[in-house]
Amino acid sequence: MNYPFWDVPIIGSGWVIGAIAIFHVLISHFAVGRGFYLPMAEAKALREGREDWMEVIRGHSKFFLILTGVFGAVSGVGIWFSIGLANPEATSTLIHNFVFGWAIEWVFFIVELTAAAVYYYTWGRIPPKTHLRVGWVYAFSAWMSLVIINGILTFMLTPGQTWLGVAGTGAESTAFWQAFFNPTYWPSLFLRTLVTVSLAGVFALITAARIDGYKQPRLKTEIIRWSSRWLIPSFVLMPLFFIWYLWSVPASQRRLLQLGVSTIGQGTFTQVTRTALITVMISATIIAVVYFVAYRNGRNFNLGWSLAILLLALSATAATEQAREMIRKPYVIVQHMYSNGVRKSEVAVFNRQGYLTKSVWLRDEERAALQAEPAGAQAVKVSHGSPEAKALVNGEMMFRGQCAACHTTDGYRSMKRLLQGRDHNSIMNLLKTMRENKEDSPYRAFMPPLVGTRQEVDALADYLHGLVSKGGASLESKTAVRR
Amino acid sequence: MDASLSPKPSEKTGLFNWLDERLGIAEILAFARHKSVPEHKHSFWYYWGGVSLFFFLAQVFSGVLLLVYYRPGAEGYDSARQITYDIRFGWLIRSAHSWAASLMILAIFVHMFSVYFMKAYRKPREFGWWSGLGLLALTMVFGFSGYLLPMDDLAYFATKVGLAIPASIPVVGKFINDIVRGGPEVSSATIQRFFALHVVVLPLLFVPLLGFHLWLVQKHGNALPPSEEAQPASERRSIPFFPDFFSRDLGMWLIALNALAALASLFPWQLGPQADPLTPAPAGIHPEWYFMSQFQILKLFGRWFPGATGEALGIALFTAGLLLWALIPLYDTSTKFGRRARNATWLGVLALAGLIITTIWGYWEV
Repeated sequence: MNYPFWDVPIIGSGWVIGAIAIFHVLISHFAVGRGFYLPMAEAKALREGREDWMEVIRGHSKFFLILTGVFGAVSGVGIWFSIGLANPEATSTLIHNFVFGWAIEWVFFIVELTAAAVYYYTWGRIPPKTHLRVGWVYAFSAWMSLVIINGILTFMLTPGQTWLGVAGTGAESTAFWQAFFNPTYWPSLFLRTLVTVSLAGVFALITAARIDGYKQPRLKTEIIRWSSRWLIPSFVLMPLFFIWYLWSVPASQRRLLQLGVSTIGQGTFTQVTRTALITVMISATIIAVVYFVAYRNGRNFNLGWSLAILLLALSATAATEQAREMIRKPYVIVQHMYSNGVRKSEVAVFNRQGYLTKSVWLRDEERAALQAEPAGAQAVKVSHGSPEAKALVNGEMMFRGQCAACHTTDGYRSMKRLLQGRDHNSIMNLLKTMRENKEDSPYRAFMPPLVGTRQEVDALADYLHGLVSKGGASLESKTAVRR
Repeated sequence: MDASLSPKPSEKTGLFNWLDERLGIAEILAFARHKSVPEHKHSFWYYWGGVSLFFFLAQVFSGVLLLVYYRPGAEGYDSARQITYDIRFGWLIRSAHSWAASLMILAIFVHMFSVYFMKAYRKPREFGWWSGLGLLALTMVFGFSGYLLPMDDLAYFATKVGLAIPASIPVVGKFINDIVRGGPEVSSATIQRFFALHVVVLPLLFVPLLGFHLWLVQKHGNALPPSEEAQPASERRSIPFFPDFFSRDLGMWLIALNALAALASLFPWQLGPQADPLTPAPAGIHPEWYFMSQFQILKLFGRWFPGATGEALGIALFTAGLLLWALIPLYDTSTKFGRRARNATWLGVLALAGLIITTIWGYWEV
């Protein structure tokens, strides 16, 4: 491993975050929604004196405790590990701005996890009213953790002018509240809350599916119908909040969506539109499948179908999260930091003095060695880290530093495939266009500008040309094209 | 089923009565409601015939749209290029057509193996088994003939390589190849032939056979797997076909549509450079995944027994296997789960494992 330039072959570092985050988002939103579901179901059962309902709710609270307490918590920590490796600069910026935000969030976490455990272990041991109150304590603290993290997540898309005004001055924390309650904060909070409510219904169907519909047809049908209704708020309000959200996204980022409709082909920039459309399609499918298969067929609803619905929910989560990530292109923090960790304000310095030589990740002696022989392309080797890292020549360092945040050599967004058929000259022209980053550059909308001195760009061109010409153009890229 | 959800006769509208008097809709509905589908822990596998049918319908729909712009023969590549790059959403329709082809074959394979392991080919369902195998064979020919039509380099060379399978049939192999190619080489004459096959001949064969297959399914109903048959009748459960099973079938179709749309839009089918017979074939060219197993077996036999012997042996083994597979209803007839039934199950496991292993092996070697 070559920290900070984390090389993940085939899938790329982004998908490591993606795979963990998609899973985490599904579980964590369920954890919040479940906070509303459990006490509401319990209150209903208490009101109507339904012992059979109580049994089901109790079983569900156990399933829920294990799922969120173990998988939710572990995957959350997994996100920290992966974002720190994949994009240390952006992670550092977030921590510097929001360290108190996270501190507050963790207080709510502790309350949340404690309440979840107390809720399950005190079934039948404390008065029903007190038990119900524990449920509501859980609901509040779980939702509050969403209230906090939502501010940090939306900040990356819309940091807001106030924060951008103080960014890089060392006084960023003076704009904490403006950065927190940023332009997409409210629509996003409402959208996510709706999702949590829907997921509570989807997960409740899993427990409900396991009730024997032939022995307890009334119980099963009732619980399934009651749980299915948890999707209704999303069905009615989601389109409205989604439009509000899109309306709050800066025009520069919204343009990425329109770009996708008028152009075709293999470009990643159209992917965001497709993914967004898939989110809409799958969400509609979930509603339809729940209505036809669960609501109307309660007694025979089985585990297989409940898992199929969960799988649809997972796909919708994956598509939504990917679209949300991609709409920030070419930034990781819009108007401040590009997706490869280069700050917008650093571009000129890097171009003048060199990306590798100005890198904060170099040791002093390495910087000196690079400055002594900046010709780069041939054999100036970086000498820190693992033996593999020492062997990397500058071109590859440039690739890892500036391209590998989104591209791999021969897997996801493969350079071998994208550059297939180009000769050295043509690669050089492409890099030049990307370095100049003029207003009419076709890459500008979705890729960061290339930074570095002329020599560094030469080294990158050599490296990329080596990739394409090393037999990469024949078989591997052909099969990759079919994929 | 909750009776309150379906309208009572008195509530039916004037339009319903008007249609009913002329078409007998009430009769059909009553019939559909009367029909029932067994419900047990293997019910999941009942959906796969329907999923295959869904993908077939998707193929018809997207195929007709492609037909509007595609021009066979010498202009094949040019029109495919237009569809992919110039015509609005042409790429999506083409991509959906290619993906649905693979998904349809996959669904039929799942359907076939589930029928096999549930022993649904037994009396009186033998013709269901045979007509199903016929449909699978026709679908594969559909796939093979359609693959060439864009005439980019991959299509061209994969077809050339794929034709090695029929070519290895002793005596008539070369003759067959000459006929389908329309000459000694794959050329625009071949496209014309494959096109006629793909859009006229195959549908003419497929649709009646599909009708026959569906009629048989309707006539005999869903088969019970042996484990369920062993249960006393009072323990068995079933649900009405309409609307209960029908609504679940639609749910499954919706999921299938989602899978198709996601694949077609996120992984659009690409178009390579125009085929040029004079350039050398790119290394590692291979047929589509559903021919990989046969291709690999032939390759292995060619390697183990050099010369014509290997090819002939490969084909012979293949024919014997297929024959054994097709004739299974005649061999495994008893309704009891005896020795023959167990042998048949083992044959199924062997076939499935062989298919998967040779396919992976094939991809490993390219």
